This record gives sequence, structure tokens and C-alpha cells, in this order.
Amino acid sequence: MEDTLDLDPAPSDRIFAIENDQHRLVETLHGHEGPVWQVSWAHPKFGIILASCSYDGRVLVWKEENGVWSTITEHRVHSASVNSISWAPSEYGALLLCTSSDGRASVIEFLADGNTKHFVFEAHSIGANAGTWAPCIGDGKKMEDRRIVTGGCDNLVKIWKFNTEANNVILEDVLQGHTDWVRDVAWSPSNLGKSYVASASQDRTVLIWTKETSPDGSPSSQWKKTYLTKDKFPDVCWRASWSLSGNILAISGNDKVTLWKETLDGDWESAGEVDQ
Amino acid sequence: MVKLHEIDETAIFAWSNDALPLIATGTLSGVMDDTFSSDSSLSIYDPFAASATKQPAPVYTAAAPGKFASIDWSKPADGHARGVLACGLENSSIQLYDPAKILSQKPTNLVDTRIAEYTKHTTPVLQVKFNPLQSHILASSGSKGEIFIWDVKKGTSFNPGQAISPMSKVSSLAWNNNMAHIFGTAGDNGYTSIWDLKAKREVLQLNYSNTNLSVIRWHPSQSTKLVTASDSDSEPVILTWDLRNSSVPEKVLKGHKKGILSLDWCLSDPNLLLSSGKDDSTLLWNPIEGVQLATYPSLSNWVHETRFAPKIPEVFASASLAKKICIQSLQDTSEPISTKVQSKDENDFWNEISTTETQQPLFKVQQAPIWLKRPVSATFGYGGKLVISKKEEVKIVTVSNNGFIDKSAKEMIT
Repeated sequence: MEDTLDLDPAPSDRIFAIENDQHRLVETLHGHEGPVWQVSWAHPKFGIILASCSYDGRVLVWKEENGVWSTITEHRVHSASVNSISWAPSEYGALLLCTSSDGRASVIEFLADGNTKHFVFEAHSIGANAGTWAPCIGDGKKMEDRRIVTGGCDNLVKIWKFNTEANNVILEDVLQGHTDWVRDVAWSPSNLGKSYVASASQDRTVLIWTKETSPDGSPSSQWKKTYLTKDKFPDVCWRASWSLSGNILAISGNDKVTLWKETLDGDWESAGEVDQ
Repeated sequence: MVKLHEIDETAIFAWSNDALPLIATGTLSGVMDDTFSSDSSLSIYDPFAASATKQPAPVYTAAAPGKFASIDWSKPADGHARGVLACGLENSSIQLYDPAKILSQKPTNLVDTRIAEYTKHTTPVLQVKFNPLQSHILASSGSKGEIFIWDVKKGTSFNPGQAISPMSKVSSLAWNNNMAHIFGTAGDNGYTSIWDLKAKREVLQLNYSNTNLSVIRWHPSQSTKLVTASDSDSEPVILTWDLRNSSVPEKVLKGHKKGILSLDWCLSDPNLLLSSGKDDSTLLWNPIEGVQLATYPSLSNWVHETRFAPKIPEVFASASLAKKICIQSLQDTSEPISTKVQSKDENDFWNEISTTETQQPLFKVQQAPIWLKRPVSATFGYGGKLVISKKEEVKIVTVSNNGFIDKSAKEMIT
């Protein structure tokens, strides 16, 4: 299985194997009672593990062993649609962040003995639409270096920092700028002295939030915001995704996927678009 | 989460248009609650404030000049940054207040924030509704067929024109969401009336087998479609109509056991309609397919008004004569009661169940609202591959470092 993918608005997950640009359906997983919003592969070092989240309020974690798929965890702490899931940098272990329309986010930790533990936090009034992790700093051992970004129906982007004693997260920054729901947040995986967070919104704008990082790795300044484009997008900005090198940003709108990169003077310019 | 907040009032209410909306309440006319008081008040609540509890205290409350039959909160307008509150009172007057002033000055006397008072009605005012497209235009209705259209900027009013047949009590009024000059009315005449302010007359009447069609709401985006409901206990039906064929309804929705008092068609998703009524219940429908989706916990007396929060349609409020306005969410996937109360000991069981939320909505069909359905999604994978999923199609393209897209992108139809 070189590279697999799935995204499917039906109550099942379909898995394709892709090899040399050929694809075939290898498995269909049934278990959700509502549309599946997102699926995400865990890092291969934890095994062949896939997480899925659904309108049914549940997160299911699936594992393949000897060609057989089974559900290893059913996470039912949310009381409304679970809208996003995101695996932590693998250095932290197998940790999954979930965000829900019930306004809360949760982090599930998969322990070595096969058990799980989790914590839940109030994230965004009326609905947390998206959440993702900051890239790993150093060897990933320092808990307080772990950060999360979430976006929600309160039009806010929030930065959260891990707190070991409380076994939870604490709110570090509230980023205000959008005038309608924040649909997606993406923290750039590149970590060269500067953090980049992109937030895509119902208000038809994308904001790039940047923050300088001091040499010891701790963020040292305030978050600065830049609009990705001067004019608004023609439609709702649904999704933001950074390339793995962190230098290209893909924004999904209703008709088009557009690509963006930063110029030397810190502006953002088009790097092409994908017609559909 | 379902039940988010409760307000202990027998009142009529209106949501504000804020991202996290406020709710304005006015003491309901025509009923007596357990206090037998004839006092009336206007209150504003901020249920989504971080400090708000399950039963939030009002952020403002003051004596009002009469009991309320209707209240509406306009979008922000010139000179009124937080919109205008219109109140239709039992004493036949319409009071307009400035919520920005109310919230900033919190005056003891409500009259200090009054923008205007209209006293043209000769009967108790039953409905006040701002035009959704031109928010300075207000329609009001009362008994004896009284209907007025007001220009709040100028303070002038006019009559909507000639009725087809004599009207009596006009207890429901709704503006078309797409044509600013069209509105509909209903009451105790049996039929629903459609008015055209350009033609200056009533242009259509809708009838259905001698059932009184007493509630009307319009489709959120299609100007010829509307929904009506009957307050009759013998035939409590909801009917959907297309005016291009106004002789028969498109769908007949049956589920209420007694007369229907309120409808609200979700402005963000035409596949969602709320109804509530004399059977104490609130139901959720897909009015396009004609199916019932959910039944919400009943409120132990008539539920006279149900409305979606305009900016957060996941949330709605229902007002009941049981001295309660219940603010709840559309969806609830929380555990069934049997798993919430797990005490083995008998006494513990009864202690626990008395403090647990045991009423839950019943979902017949799980239907995700439109605002959760992402129409397109592009995600980067390894090797500069970008995976794009849109509806039933998944596409993989390769993005090289300078952003150039491989034109030989492979498509995959699933």
C-alpha cells in the first residue's frame, strides 16, 4: 500500500490502493450512522490505522491486521456531529484531535497497552469546525511545546497549549479577524523560525497568521495577520491545506482549488489553480 | 448537548442577527401565568455569553407599556447599529426601540430608548415583521383585517390594498424572502392570502378542504414556494405549495396531534422546517421530501412559537405557555438515558435520574444540514500530490515545487 486515500460523504469508508497511478478498491468499512466527514491515516509506525469522523457524533478508529479490518476504538464523547479529526505529529505518540458541532474538542491518546484515554475541552461556542496540530518542536518530549489550532462558528481561531499537570490544554491566543464561521485551519508543517497558520472562512477570505519563533523554540512575538488576497474569494473558503514542505497552500472553494505561495517580501501570490 | 438554555417566562421572543445572537422577550398577551400579574416587561438575554448559565439572567429588563403579541428584531440599519426592535402590543400600539441604546445605557425607563410609537391600529396588534430585503420596511397586522406597511425611516404608513374577500383576525404574516413586495397573511378566515404591494391588492388565496390555514412561512430561496399549517385540532396538517399551481398543495405533512401554532423554514437549508403547536411538541421536517425527521422533547403546554437562530441555524428556541422558552440544538447524538444513569443501587438511581436530562429528541431520519456538507476538499499528501474530492469524484494531481500542475492528472470516478 504505497499511498491510499479516501473522502466520501456516505456512511461508509472506501479505501483505495494506489500504485504507479493505478487504483483499485481494496475495502469498504461500514460502521457510521451518518455521513462521514473526514478520514485520516495514523503514522505507519503505529500500524495500519485509520480514523473516521461522522455526523453521527462518533469517531471510529480502524485497524488492519492480516488483511482484516476491525474497529479498535469507538469515541462517543461528543453529542453532535464530529467535523474534523487530526493525528498529532508522530513524535508525540498516537494522539487524535477531534472537533465537534457540540462546541467542544477532544484529544484521544492511544496507549501502548491498547487502552485509550482522552480529555475534552470547550473550544468554540456553537461549534468547532476544524482543528489541527502545530509541527513538532525538537524531539517532541516537552509537553508545553505541543500546540493545537482550532476554528469555529464564533468566527475565531484559537491557539491552545498543552498543560501536563491538568492533562488538558490551555488557551494561549485568540485570533480575531474573520467575520463569519471559520471553516478550516491549517498549521504549516515547516518550522524555520516562523509559524504559519492559514484559516479559511465562510466570509470568503483566507487569513495567514504568522509568528516569529525564538531560537529556543518558544514563540516570542504576537501573531500577525495577512489577508491571502486583497479581494474576497468568489465563494466560501472550505478548506486550507499546506504541502508537506510547507511552501504551497491549497485553498478549496466551490468551483476551484487555488494554490498560493509567499513572495520574498512576505506577500502571497498565485501559484496556479486546478480546474474541476 | 440538545437543551442549551431555559428562560422562565411566558413570552414571545425574537433573535438578534449577531453571530452569537441575543434573544429579546416580551410578556405574552392573552394568557395569565401563575403570578396572575397584569404587568408586562421587555427583557434581553445573552444566552451564548461565556458567563451565561443554563438558566441565564436577563442582561436587561424593564417594564413595557403593554403585553406583547409579536416582537421582531431587524438587521442592522442606518443609524441603528444593532437593528431595531419592533413590538406589537395588546394595547393596539407598535413600539420601536433601539437595542444598541438599551444595551449600552440600560435605562430604567424603556421609553428613553424608543425610536417611535405607531398608534394607527384600532385592534390589538397581532404581528410585526420586518422585510428581510429592505429592513426599514415593517408590516403589521391586527383584527378586523387591519394590515399596515410602515417605512420606519420616514415614519409613514400605507395600506397594502384591496382584499379579495373581507378579512378578520390576521394572526400570521410573512414576507417573501426574495421578492420585497410580496407577503402572505393567514388567520381565522380559513385561507392563506398572498399580497402584492406593487399591484396594491391581494392576488391569491390558498384553500385546503375547509381546514383553517392559519400559519404561513416562505421558502428561503424560491419565491413561489411556501408552507402553511392549520391550527385545527381535527386536521393539524402542514402543507407545502408552489404558487404556480395554487389549487393543490405539493406535500401534506402529518404528525402533529393537535393544531399547529408556529412554523419556521430554515433560511440556511430549505430541507429543514420546524413546527410546533397545541400538542406541546416541536417537530423537525424535510418539507421538500415531505418527511418528518425528529421529535423534540415536549414542553408540557402549547408551544406557540419556534424559531431558528438566524446566524447559527444549529440552534433554535421554542416558547411554551408552560412559562418556558427552551433554547436547544437541532442535533443530539448523546448517549441514551439508560447509559447516563447507571447506578446499581435503587436510591442512587432515583437521585441520579432526578438530576439527569432524561428527555431526548427522537430522530426518525438522520439528515445532515447543508452547512456541514463541504462541497469540495483539497488535501496535500506525500510527493507533492494533491487529493481533491468533490461530490462523487476524487482526483489526484501532482504539484511540483514551483507550483506547476502536472497536466496528466489522473482522474478517479468512485
